[in-house]
Amino acid sequence: MLPAVLGFLALLASAAGSGAGPDVSGETLTAIPDKPPAPGFTLPDIDGRTHRLSDYLGQVVVVNFWATWCPPCREEMPSMQRAWEQVRNNDVVFLGINVGETADEIFTFTGDYAVDFPLLMDQDSRTVQNWPIRGLPTTYIVDSDGRLAYRAVGGRAWDSPEVLDQIRALRPQ
Amino acid sequence: MTLCAMFAVSFACFPDPVVMGIDPQTQLKYWEWHAGGVLLRLTQRLPDQTRAYFLARGFAQADADRIAANCIFQSMFRNTAPATSGTVVSDLNDWRIRTNGEPGRLLLREYWRKLWAEREVPESARIAFEWSLLPTYQTYAPGDYNWGMTSYGLSPGSDFDLRFSWHRNGERFEGKIDNIRCAPDIHPEPSADKE
Repeated sequence: MLPAVLGFLALLASAAGSGAGPDVSGETLTAIPDKPPAPGFTLPDIDGRTHRLSDYLGQVVVVNFWATWCPPCREEMPSMQRAWEQVRNNDVVFLGINVGETADEIFTFTGDYAVDFPLLMDQDSRTVQNWPIRGLPTTYIVDSDGRLAYRAVGGRAWDSPEVLDQIRALRPQ
Repeated sequence: MTLCAMFAVSFACFPDPVVMGIDPQTQLKYWEWHAGGVLLRLTQRLPDQTRAYFLARGFAQADADRIAANCIFQSMFRNTAPATSGTVVSDLNDWRIRTNGEPGRLLLREYWRKLWAEREVPESARIAFEWSLLPTYQTYAPGDYNWGMTSYGLSPGSDFDLRFSWHRNGERFEGKIDNIRCAPDIHPEPSADKE
């Protein structure tokens, strides 16, 4: 009985939402008119390494804002990992920026969700407030010139051919 | 009555597009409105569910109780129109409720932000709360959606009607869901067969 009760309480405490997310297959990324410059940031990852967006100039950067308690964030993370595995050697970088949580909370999350790309911490939420973002997850694709090229509000199937084609097309020629 | 009859003069006309059902995971009720390239789904959250969630995010018991007592729904707003359609702009300030004949509004991020500042709630809890709510203002391209909580300032078990709106290509649209019920403040036990 005790395990059942504990499991039930854990479900209550962890779930910001419930039920399956919407079907996002076939959904692509939205092109951003005029491609404004991406706001810069300097953030630590969960291993203590510092990442600056400017470090990645010349590469395409997928910047995903997320949180462990956000159901659509969790739902899209495996497809993001699969997408990264397909493009990681092609001048494409994935950065997951966690909003408001600790390294311990993120580390626990990675026990259930295998993620190999850098997971950065925006613990005071100042970075997310500097970006044009109002809900999680939101993902921007920054082109090799450091400009916001595409946006996705809500989850996507990141390893779908259509989305990967959009990302690959941004690579420097 | 269909929305066509209700809004024939002022607004775009949709057949009655509301589906009510039971969420298979939580066994709680949901209301889903889907027409005109917009989907709004509201799923009940038990007050216990909300209390536990915010206690785990660092809120004190009294503050978690306060949130839980304000009729919280898990909500999804999505632009389901084809890719060639325009973006949808949603502003929850424009949404209205009616309960027992009285008009009301949602309690939005801005209301709660002020309250948590006054009560000196820890920063990490405030950040989690802010981003757990459906954004007050959002632009949704086709395929975009947000998932978050909405709060209505009503007691558990209350009934209300919701009138919501959005803009697409500069034109205003409206939808309505009647007889939505806030989840009651019950305390479910795990089923015995899970021992």
